[in-house]
Amino acid sequence: MSARLGNWLDERFGWRSVWTAIFLRKIPHVNWFYTLGSATLFMATLQIVTGILLTIYYVPTPDHAYDSVIYITTQLPAGWFIRGLHHWGASAMVILTALHMLRVFFYGAYKYPREVTWLTGVMLLLVVVGFGFTGYLLPWDQKAYWATTVGTRIAGVAPGVGEWILRIMRGGDDLSAVTLARFFGAHVWVLPGALLTLIVIHMYLVIRLGITAVPGRDE
Amino acid sequence: MGPANSKMTRRQFMSAAITAIGGLISAAVGLPAIAYIVGPALKQRAEDWVQLGAISKVVLGSPTLFKATIERQTGWISAQEEVSAYVLTEDGQTFAAISNICTHLGCRVRWIAAEEQFFCPCHNGVFGKDGSVISGPPPRPLDRFETKIENGVLFVRRS
Repeated sequence: MSARLGNWLDERFGWRSVWTAIFLRKIPHVNWFYTLGSATLFMATLQIVTGILLTIYYVPTPDHAYDSVIYITTQLPAGWFIRGLHHWGASAMVILTALHMLRVFFYGAYKYPREVTWLTGVMLLLVVVGFGFTGYLLPWDQKAYWATTVGTRIAGVAPGVGEWILRIMRGGDDLSAVTLARFFGAHVWVLPGALLTLIVIHMYLVIRLGITAVPGRDE
Repeated sequence: MGPANSKMTRRQFMSAAITAIGGLISAAVGLPAIAYIVGPALKQRAEDWVQLGAISKVVLGSPTLFKATIERQTGWISAQEEVSAYVLTEDGQTFAAISNICTHLGCRVRWIAAEEQFFCPCHNGVFGKDGSVISGPPPRPLDRFETKIENGVLFVRRS
């Protein structure tokens, strides 16, 4: 029955060749360091799922942000768990992305023909850091407020354009409702859009070009 | 590899292991997620007595609208909620508190004194003085609150 359904769908979608290309492709004999990219992808998926769940209750305005986060953490069933996963997952994302980058760097996997894969990877690292920076403000507690005050001030010391960048980030002179709203917008719309687009390109290239073997001494 | 007589290939073992681990992780996130989403829906509203007002204000033989504002915690917000009921007495002794929520689709009904009827503007539901259906789509009479009187003040139980 399921075989017949599979055939019926395959005739129309051609999903078996896609499945084969993604999951049954040939790879060289590699080691556990090569799982860091998959680990990052898994964490990204988890962040998307828990992030979507958090938006069901979170409200990005100064008069509700903190209270809605406390409500999620203390009143809702498993709210502490969902938020905890998202909170710790954020750190895991940064760490895994960085480790994955180090693996690629030390194994020389960024070289021809994988320069664009590397380039999109670097952009993905920036996106991940952007997620961390914008997400940090959203609980709207003291730590969030002052961390963002400091973070935007750091952007402000860039020569020439600094002051202008600071004002764009904050949406004015000071941290305000405008800052919180735009950080939320960046965190749940702009950055996810960039993340998904870049992941699609990154993964397409990984599958198309195949992964590198562990470099040997006599190569 | 497993025992020599095992029928399971390495590939089969790996895909079974991946499916099992994937299923475990999905359940570990998915089940709490369901609880997290439906949580507020399962919360029952606390039953409590709401003070409507002095029974001396009830007009004999004519439904009189009473409104009370109560404080209620909804999510992370403490909100004001209005409780209203038409109070009817024919003898000044027994009081009926009739809900002004139409039993059709929840609009508010209004007492039209000239016609001695409750009228719902949404779909022309018409109820009699005692809340019974006269015409229109409502499936049952207007709901009634449980009442009590303490020192000449009328209370209804909101459930």
